[in-house]
Amino acid sequence: MGCTLADVTLPSLGESVTEGIITQWFKKVGDVVARDEPLFEVSTDKVDSEMPSPAAGVLVEILAGEGDTVKTGARVAVIDEKADPGTIAPAPSESSPAPAPPPVASAATAPALSRPLDESPNGVVVSPVVRRILNDGGVEAAAVQGTGPGGAITRRDAERAVAPGPSEEVVVSLSNGRRRMGQHMSVSSQSTPHGFVAVEVDGAIFGKLETLGRVTRDGEPISDEMVVSLAAVRALAEFEFLNATYSGDEFVLHRTVNLGVVRAIADDGMLVPVVHAAAGLTLRALARRINELDGRLSSRQLTTDDLMGGTFTVAGAPSEHVLWATPIIIQPEVAILSMGAVRLVPVVNVSGGSPSIEVGRRLVLGLSFDHRVCEPVGAANYLERVAELLAGMDLESER
Amino acid sequence: MVNEVQQFDVVVIGGGPGGYAAALYGAAAGLNVAIVERDKVGGTCLHRGCVPAKEFLETAHVHRTVEHSSDFGINATGVSVDFAVSQARKNEIVERLYKGLSGLLKGRKVTIFAGTGRLEKDLSVSVLDGADAGVVAKGADVILAAGSVPRTLPGFDVDGKIVVTSDEFLDLNVLPERATVIGGGAIGCEFASLLSDMGSQVTILEFLPSILAGCDTEVASVVQRSFKKRGIEIRVGAKITGHTPKKGSTTIAVEGEESVVADMVVMSVGRRPRTEGLLAEGTGVVINERGFVVADGYQRTAAPHVFAVGDVVADAPQLAHVGFAEAIVAIKTILGEPVVPVDFDRVPWAIYSNPEVAFCGLTEAAAKEKGYDVVVKKDPFGGNSRAQIIGDTEGVVKIIAEKRADGTGGQILGVHMAGPWVTEQLGAGYFAVNWEATAEEAAALIQPHPSLSETFGETLLALAGRGLHVG
Repeated sequence: MGCTLADVTLPSLGESVTEGIITQWFKKVGDVVARDEPLFEVSTDKVDSEMPSPAAGVLVEILAGEGDTVKTGARVAVIDEKADPGTIAPAPSESSPAPAPPPVASAATAPALSRPLDESPNGVVVSPVVRRILNDGGVEAAAVQGTGPGGAITRRDAERAVAPGPSEEVVVSLSNGRRRMGQHMSVSSQSTPHGFVAVEVDGAIFGKLETLGRVTRDGEPISDEMVVSLAAVRALAEFEFLNATYSGDEFVLHRTVNLGVVRAIADDGMLVPVVHAAAGLTLRALARRINELDGRLSSRQLTTDDLMGGTFTVAGAPSEHVLWATPIIIQPEVAILSMGAVRLVPVVNVSGGSPSIEVGRRLVLGLSFDHRVCEPVGAANYLERVAELLAGMDLESER
Repeated sequence: MVNEVQQFDVVVIGGGPGGYAAALYGAAAGLNVAIVERDKVGGTCLHRGCVPAKEFLETAHVHRTVEHSSDFGINATGVSVDFAVSQARKNEIVERLYKGLSGLLKGRKVTIFAGTGRLEKDLSVSVLDGADAGVVAKGADVILAAGSVPRTLPGFDVDGKIVVTSDEFLDLNVLPERATVIGGGAIGCEFASLLSDMGSQVTILEFLPSILAGCDTEVASVVQRSFKKRGIEIRVGAKITGHTPKKGSTTIAVEGEESVVADMVVMSVGRRPRTEGLLAEGTGVVINERGFVVADGYQRTAAPHVFAVGDVVADAPQLAHVGFAEAIVAIKTILGEPVVPVDFDRVPWAIYSNPEVAFCGLTEAAAKEKGYDVVVKKDPFGGNSRAQIIGDTEGVVKIIAEKRADGTGGQILGVHMAGPWVTEQLGAGYFAVNWEATAEEAAALIQPHPSLSETFGETLLALAGRGLHVG
């Protein structure tokens, strides 16, 4: 057979990143891989990313096992682009953590099953005790997925179903994402004296957004957070001491705004992807850039560069009834703006003669700031300016 | 004979408990079933295993009863043992059961092919030898139930005279004067017990640190104490290096220890699956490194439409009643009916030695190993009125439950018994474990008085926090 081997190397993970830890292989030796199919997961101190396969063929060798730290550019696997999948004999190297299974299988991995065990039916009750627990708790057996053989509902399953939550204290290890978040938040809150101010502002602009439609003329979805972000970026032009980084004794005012947007990852901490050079963008362009980042986030394709260089951050409302949040500053920035949800509220209209009550939209904007470089009044003035820009935004042309 | 292919819904290779249960259960559901059996339907269990062994153990029981009959004022003199009569009685029982089973299979129109079956890769089964050699039976589904055969140790060639396995032992007409049982598991302890009760001088050689290694240690120690009291020599941690037969006896060498002289060596070191020659090339069925067939909880092998039940199945207890249960799971799966797989961790175990042992669920050690905080209660049969009446007070009931915050027993994890008729008493414990009852729930149920089963009830009460007689 001709030599048709392609090396898989650890690609550059961003400017300042020289190595990563391989946390998971999605393929094993002998598996067929398509080009761009996720091949392995790599973890850095910033993010976990899925790495696509650079070639199509059969994975013939894994050179770096799960848990190994690998330099960028190093070979991690070999793909044979011409191989017949059936003829590959697993040839694990020393560092290969998981040699292909021998031709004996355990019951759990017996192949070619017409109905895998994990497709067990719901609601299998084999014990009268279990039936009684479910009856007493008012839980239908059909709603319970059992963990016993064949999906049988065990006593423990039933007890959990009627009183959800862990039945005992369990020690769990934090995910990589939470560990990274925890480190950053601890350092930030310990090193920086945080101040916080909040203002309630008019949200009429969001009513207009509803009327016009929540998409740009290019078809990009628009969120409330994008509208606030646009106003926040523009207001920074007059409050340059907030578009800044402060580390050690250096207080640096930045010429452009690199806007971070806070994104929670389910059960895995949060990430703050950055829209670089956000000053000067229209709502249309900002929406496209944020949506691009969100797309890469959900496909786990964010690079370290996407997470670097932020100068100011906006944190959207965590849920639809949040009044305000007091965020922790993303280091080495000096301020982070948080928004509450846009709410329909009764407002007093004093513009025409006698005061009257109307239905209006309101939201709370908050700013956590580094009290070493900013005073509350400066923060409040900035938020007032954001409110003005929001109220005066020309959505029709922006979108 | 022409190699005509005969079509069936299900073809079963092997007519032992797993195989005949599959045939009976499948035929009862209207399936057209064939069994390929190289010997007689009934298999090891009926012809060379459980059933004959229990007949001999019952003979030993009668012998004990007669020996102690004067305690009851029944004076029997001139008691002697004619083992050939017991052998003949055993053969009659086996023959009667065999005829019954054959009639039952015939009544359900199960076709039986005589010969050794081999699975081909297209779901057909070739009969390789025997009266029906050349027959090819093709099934929409095939069940592998080829069973197991006794293992022996290197250097111990089974000759049926000095070195025997259960196969040969159960055909003996005369019992040896001095017997050495190699392997102190369930089968070894049954043989040791009956030999001793029938008057043989018995030595057990066990490689592991204790006999009945799979049992809860306290239950095993009841048997160990009883055996020692009756003069059975138990040597654990014994590494056997070989033996030197002479005329009519042999000397067994044990590494670093005194050797043992015996007139007969009874090998009971486990059973290996009979899978050699069972599969043609390319069937897709996966055999593990020890020769067992790999199957999932629905008894499906790696090959579609090929199932495995009974002693050939990997990682499953080699018990006839487990084979029955697996056969029902396999047939229901074939029929597409909902079925719950056999929970191998909670099957009933029964050892018919004197004293008997029966258990279900986790041992105390296994429960702790699994991370359970446990509470354990035990009640010896000594205080049980019925046990005193029948004159058999040796034994204990031990129950292991999950520990609740208040220290009382929660869910029952294991029930372990040693003593009179515990193989018949285990039922209640089996239900408690498999229905996942708590000690309190099970203790609220009543046991008849006077009965041996009160000891189980007493233990439950104690476990639930407050016993009548047991603290």
